[in-house]
Amino acid sequence: MLAKRIQPMASQARRLYVELMFQVMGRALQAVSEVDSEVQAEAKALPKGFLFEMMVMPDGSKLIVEHVGEGRFHYHGDSAPRPVDVSIRFKHLAHAFLVLSFQEKTSVAFANDRMLVDGDVSYAVRMTRVLNRLESFILPKIIAKRAVKEYPENLQLPEKLISAAQIYLKVATHFVQSARA
Amino acid sequence: MTNTYYEFFCPVKVIAGKAALEHIPYELTGLAAKRPMIITDKGVRAAGLLDPVIAACEESGLDIISIYDDVPPDSSTTVVRDIAAIYRKEKCDSIIAIGGGSAIDTGKAVNILVSEGGTDIAKYTGAGVIKQPLKPFFVVPTTAGTGSEVTSVAVITDEKKGVKLPFSSSFLLPNAAIIDPRMTLTLPPHITAATAMDAMTHAVESFTCMAKNPLSDAYATAAIKKVSQSLLQVMDNPKDNDGRLELAQASTMAGIAFSNSMVGLVHSLGHATGAICHLPHGMCMSLYLPYVLEYNLETIREPLGELLLYLEGPEIYAATPASRRAEASISALRKLRDALYKRCQLPRTLKETDKVTEDQLDAIAEMALDDGSIMFNPKEVTLKDARAVLQRAWA
Ligand SMILES: [Zn+2]
Repeated sequence: MLAKRIQPMASQARRLYVELMFQVMGRALQAVSEVDSEVQAEAKALPKGFLFEMMVMPDGSKLIVEHVGEGRFHYHGDSAPRPVDVSIRFKHLAHAFLVLSFQEKTSVAFANDRMLVDGDVSYAVRMTRVLNRLESFILPKIIAKRAVKEYPENLQLPEKLISAAQIYLKVATHFVQSARA
Repeated sequence: MTNTYYEFFCPVKVIAGKAALEHIPYELTGLAAKRPMIITDKGVRAAGLLDPVIAACEESGLDIISIYDDVPPDSSTTVVRDIAAIYRKEKCDSIIAIGGGSAIDTGKAVNILVSEGGTDIAKYTGAGVIKQPLKPFFVVPTTAGTGSEVTSVAVITDEKKGVKLPFSSSFLLPNAAIIDPRMTLTLPPHITAATAMDAMTHAVESFTCMAKNPLSDAYATAAIKKVSQSLLQVMDNPKDNDGRLELAQASTMAGIAFSNSMVGLVHSLGHATGAICHLPHGMCMSLYLPYVLEYNLETIREPLGELLLYLEGPEIYAATPASRRAEASISALRKLRDALYKRCQLPRTLKETDKVTEDQLDAIAEMALDDGSIMFNPKEVTLKDARAVLQRAWA
């Protein structure tokens, strides 16, 4: 308990930021799977009802999405309806913060042992590609380049602007909806 | 470079060189083991490779309690369960795995069952499930390539479900790896070549992929130097004891390197090709290596250029302008492949294997994209990219 009280503000802020980013990413994953054919193509190879989790060890923030079929994701917030199929676990809040604040690429974080994969690796690989695609969609190009190994060539500016707008809009409506609920 | 971070781990005692096998009884006794079981395959037994191990133990008054010599090339959950039952019936207390990747993986899996209990190995699949040390476990590799003696993973096929179960835990690592040149002396030329090229690929990918770090780099470069200097010598003179030991050590060093820094696209393509076309792993490695390096070239120009020193030696390195070294490294590897093709017809293209048809390339590309090692390839790989690399490797 004492340790909790003397935690610096910075740590509290990081915790909040990670939690918020998980929420944004969860909603964006759902939104992007409704508009982007490439994400849909990746997701279609996942079994229907497949549950994917990203979390901070030991028991921190969580992001859970389900593949509901046809390449569409459904965002479940931070609680899973049943045991998850693939879990990507950050070893520490600090590592999640590095990745989610785009200071460390997802692929580099894997290479640096910042996180563990539990479950079928081939699905984890697929989900990493989906996350990369998502990041290049929702982030300004300059930040996205830092976040993903390679910025996709086929993401033309107009397409990006339109899609990003669509996604932001959807994220916003999801926020409003859950705020009401 | 203050942003760099890495981890490096290898607690395996390496016992290497002349008369290394004779150290087994002492090492077993040091772990209070008195009733060892040998796990191996028919090929190893037929080649007479068990004899020196058994003799070494008996001379020290240590009896081998049981020998299981029927490990198939693709080990299964049933085999693991059967061996564990024999281990328990014979009241063994330690395991010596002798062989290539399959015998070693089987040994790791049996060790899980006999230490943790039960008959269903599938229960322990995944990462970090095992949380305590297992029984004393020794590995004697009889091929110089896989590096399984220093990796913390094992793959066992679940026949009923038709899936490959991965096991990963640092507790799977053996207590000791015994590298004795006698064990690889009779390896036929094409297996010598293919397995050595697997070791070479482990080292080259480890040095050029995303998780490279200063410690794994040291092991990788040393391994590359040993393979470059000794492989053709051994091909021309298979009974060359010193050369055999050099290759065996290179394989272990490359294993230490890649188990700490992972591999990339060569392995993703190789795993897929192995699964679809049933080609040996080492052959696939040798085949794909230059094509993947060409694909990654602009991302890995600097480290790949550095490797020229270990591939070709200081004179050629110094005589090659820095801007040309990466290409020269690829040429050196191609030259080595040509020399191996001349000596044992180790294929350089998919067409030369005679086992792959062009219409299988799409399936290979798709499967490679789902392989775990693709995450560590320095350059992002799309389906289109994978297809293009395969097309170049075709003929
Ligand atoms: Zn390999």
